[in-house]
Amino acid sequence: MSPKEEVYTRHGGKGGDRGKILAEMMNAEGKAEVLDDILVLDVSSANFAGIIAASFLAEFGAEVVKIEPKEGDPARQITPFGVTVQGVGIPFMFEGRNKRYMTLDVKNNPDDRRIFAKLAKKAAVVIESFAPGEMDGWGIGYRQLSAENPGLIYIALSAYGQYTDQAKEFAKMPDADITSQAGSGLPAQMGAPPNEPEPYTWPLRGGMWAGWYISGLSAALGGTVALIHRQNTGQGQMVDVAGMDAYSSMVGMPATIGFTWEKARPRIGVLDFILYPYGHWKCKDGFVAIAAPRDHDFRALLKVLGLWEQEDDWRYSSDRIPDILEQAIHLHKIIEEKTLQFTGDELVRMALNYSKKSARSKWRGGGVPIVMKLMTPEEAMKNKQWHIRKAFQEVEDEKLGKYMISANFVKMSESPPRVKWVSSTIGKDNEYIREKYLND
Amino acid sequence: MEDYFSYTAKLFNPEEASQKPEALKGIRVMDFSHVIFGPIAARLLADYGAEVIKLELPFYGDLWRPATYWGKYWKHSNPIWHNITKNKYFLSVNLQLKESKELIYKMAENADVVIENFAPGTADAWGIGYEKISKINPNIIFLSCSTYGQFGPMRYFPGWDLLAQGASGVLTLNGYPDTDIYYKLPDYVGDFVPGNFAALAVLMALYYRKKTGKGQYIDMAQTEGLMRMLFNYTYHSVTKGAIGRTGNTDPTMVPASIFKTGDEKFLALACATADQFKNFAEAMGKPELASDPRFAGTLERLKPENAKALTALAVDWVRSKSCADIVKLADASGFPAAEVADDYMIANEEWRRKRGSVVLFKDDIYGNLAIAGPSAMLSGTPSRTKWLARPLGYHNRLVLKKFLGLSESDIEKLEKKKVIGTFDDRPGLKPPVYYNLSEDPIYNYGKEVKK
Repeated sequence: MSPKEEVYTRHGGKGGDRGKILAEMMNAEGKAEVLDDILVLDVSSANFAGIIAASFLAEFGAEVVKIEPKEGDPARQITPFGVTVQGVGIPFMFEGRNKRYMTLDVKNNPDDRRIFAKLAKKAAVVIESFAPGEMDGWGIGYRQLSAENPGLIYIALSAYGQYTDQAKEFAKMPDADITSQAGSGLPAQMGAPPNEPEPYTWPLRGGMWAGWYISGLSAALGGTVALIHRQNTGQGQMVDVAGMDAYSSMVGMPATIGFTWEKARPRIGVLDFILYPYGHWKCKDGFVAIAAPRDHDFRALLKVLGLWEQEDDWRYSSDRIPDILEQAIHLHKIIEEKTLQFTGDELVRMALNYSKKSARSKWRGGGVPIVMKLMTPEEAMKNKQWHIRKAFQEVEDEKLGKYMISANFVKMSESPPRVKWVSSTIGKDNEYIREKYLND
Repeated sequence: MEDYFSYTAKLFNPEEASQKPEALKGIRVMDFSHVIFGPIAARLLADYGAEVIKLELPFYGDLWRPATYWGKYWKHSNPIWHNITKNKYFLSVNLQLKESKELIYKMAENADVVIENFAPGTADAWGIGYEKISKINPNIIFLSCSTYGQFGPMRYFPGWDLLAQGASGVLTLNGYPDTDIYYKLPDYVGDFVPGNFAALAVLMALYYRKKTGKGQYIDMAQTEGLMRMLFNYTYHSVTKGAIGRTGNTDPTMVPASIFKTGDEKFLALACATADQFKNFAEAMGKPELASDPRFAGTLERLKPENAKALTALAVDWVRSKSCADIVKLADASGFPAAEVADDYMIANEEWRRKRGSVVLFKDDIYGNLAIAGPSAMLSGTPSRTKWLARPLGYHNRLVLKKFLGLSESDIEKLEKKKVIGTFDDRPGLKPPVYYNLSEDPIYNYGKEVKK
C-alpha cells in the first residue's frame, strides 16, 4: 500500500469485518430486478431528461424501449464539442443502459402512431417530451392512451409543464439544460461577488447538466411513486415535469428565501451562506476542500493550521456567518496563507491525525475538521474507494467498442440497480419488439 | 374534443390535490437522520403520504435546526428547515438511555422503513443499525446514507455535500477556464440530489417488498449519486481528455450560454438541434446561418472554432434586444430561452403559484410561508404539504400514544426520567414566542386543552 493510500485507509480503526460483510451483501450478481415485469416506452425527443428517467427505470430492471425516427433522436448529437463515436454522442453513450431501440416516427407518420398506441396498451410507463398537447393532438396523449390502458403512467417533460396559462402560452418553448438551470434559479446563486470584474460577477451555469439530471431524476421518482399506486390499485396517472421547476423545487431555498427576505440573495463567490469554513482553498499542489463549520471544528482547524492566535479575534471567534463579506474574505485569506504551505496529502493527514486524537480524548469538544483533496472527474475515476464499490464500470457497445461509465449508484442487498449492457444502434430491436408485443 | 389545457387544468387542479389519495399511505418511516441528505429522503416519502417519525435528541435536536442563511430566523425558526422537514412527526428521545432504545425497538416492530445518516458504523455501534433492527423486523427496508458509502477504505471519513462535490469531480467543473477559481454548486444540492436518489431506492425497495415480502439494506453514498450525473467519465475514457470548466457555456449545444441582454438582464439561450438552430437563425434575421457549412450540421456547429464564432454572433444579437423580446421570439419560433430567475422571481412569479411549483402554505403555527412544490406533479397521487417543521419534541405525545399505545402516566414517567424531552430557548428548536403551546391539541395529544 502506498503512503498515499494509507492516508485513506487507516482512519477509523476497527470495523474491517463490517466493511467486508457489507461489500459481499451488496454484490449485485444474480440478484432480483425490481421492475422486471414492466414495459417502458421512451418516445422523448432531443431531451435528455426523458432519456435519463428511462435509464433509471432500465437500471432497476424495466424493459425500456427507446422509440425514435429512422434518422435517430437528435439527442444523439447533443455532445461536448461535437465529440462522437461513429456519430453517437458521449451523453447518449453514457445513458444507453439496458435499452431496446425501435424506429417509429410518431411526429410525422400516422401508421407509426397506431403501432405506438398498440404498444402503449401493454406498457406501464410512457415518457415523452414533445410540446405540451402535441401527443394529444396526434391522438396518442395521456387522454387517449389511458382510455385504453387505465393503469398507464404517462410522464411528460417540458419547459413550463402541461397545465396553467403559462404552459399554454409557452407550449412551443423547448426544454434544454441551460434554460432549465437558469429558469429554476441555479445560476443566480453562482458567480463572483459584486466587487469583481465582469463577466465573473454574472450568474454562472453549473458545469454539469444540473437541469436535465434533476428533471430526469424527478420524473423517475414521481413515476415510481405512481408505480406503487398502480401496484396497489391498478390505477395509472399522469406525471408532469417542468424544466423551469427543476432546481428550485429540488432544493426549495429560492421560494422560501425570496418570500421571507423579500429580495434575492447576492452572489458570494466561493463562500457559503450558512457554514464557514466550508469551501476550498489552494494548497501547494492543487486544491483542498475544507469543512470545519461547527465551533469546535473551526477551533480544531485553527490548531491544525497553526492559527490559534486568531482564536479570540472578535471578527470570527463568535460569529463566522459570512453576512459581512469583507470579514469572511479576510479569514479566507488567512487560511489560504497556511494551506499554501502544505501539499494536499499533508493537509489531509494533519486533519486526520488531529481528529483521531480528539476522538480518543475524553474531552468531547475536540472537533473534526474535514480536509480532502479536490478531485477532477478524471482523478476521481482512479480512486480505490470507487473501484471497491464498483462505482465505475467498463461496458462494451457492439458497434462503438469499450468505454467507461459510472454505474451502481446505490447499493441494495436484494434488488439493486445495475447496467447489464449498453447499446445505441438505431432500430436494433425492431424485430424483437414486434415479436414480443405486436404479434396479436 | 375538449381543449388540451382545459383537460389538464382539471386533471392537475392544485385546489383538489389535498383530497386525492396518497400513494404511500400506511407506510411508517423511522427517520434517525440529520442535516439534509437523510432528512430529504424521508421528507419525500412524507410528501407522498408516509408517516415519518423524526427522531432527535432532547434539547439538542438536529444540527441543522438553527442553521439558517446568514443567521436570519423567521418566527424563531429556520425558514429553510421547513422545506427540509415538513410533514414529519417530531419525536425527541434520549438515545443514551436503555428505555429510549426499548421505545425505538418497539416502534421498529411495525415500521416499514428506517433512514439514518450517521458516520458509517455508528448506528450499529448504538444498537439502532441494520444489524439490530433487521432482527426485530426482518422485512424492514433500512437506508443508510453517507458521503462515501458503508464499505470501502474511505467509509469512515465524515462528509458534507461539499466533500461529495469535491470527491466526485463536480466542484471542479464550475467556473471559467484559465482561472484558478472553482465554484461549488449552491444550496447543498450535493445533499438534495442524492437524497432524491435515496428516496428512489426506498421506493424501489417498497415496490419489491410488495411483490416478494422481502425487505433489504440500502447503502446510498452521496458521492456516487453525484457521479451518476457526470458523463465526463465517458468523455475521458473515449478521448483521454477532459471537458473541464467551460464558464457560462454548455459545450454540448451551440449556442448555449448565459448572455446579457440590452436591458441589462441575464438570459440563457440554447439550440440543441438543427431545427432549433434554424428557428434561432430566422429569429435573428439571419436565416442564411442555417445553411452555412460551419453551422448547418449539429456536430459541425459544436466544433470549438465554429462554436466560438457562432456564440460571438449570439452575444451581439442578445445585447441588441430586451430580455422579454427574446423570450417571446423564442417561444414563437421554437428554441429554448429563459431569463435567469432569482429567489425573488421564483417566490413571486404568478405562474409558479398557479402551477403549485411554489405554494403559499398556511400553517397552524407559523401562518403563511412560501414553500417549494414538488419537482414532479402527479395527477392521481400528488405530493403535498400538510404541515411545516415543528418545535423539538412537538409530537412526543401523539407518537407515543397513537403509534405505541402509551398512556399519559407512562409518558409522564418517561419525562421524569428524561427519556423524552423537548426544546430549550434557542431559535430553531422552540416555537414562535407568540404561540401558546399549552393550548395546542396536538402537542398535548390526548390531554384536555383549554382554549
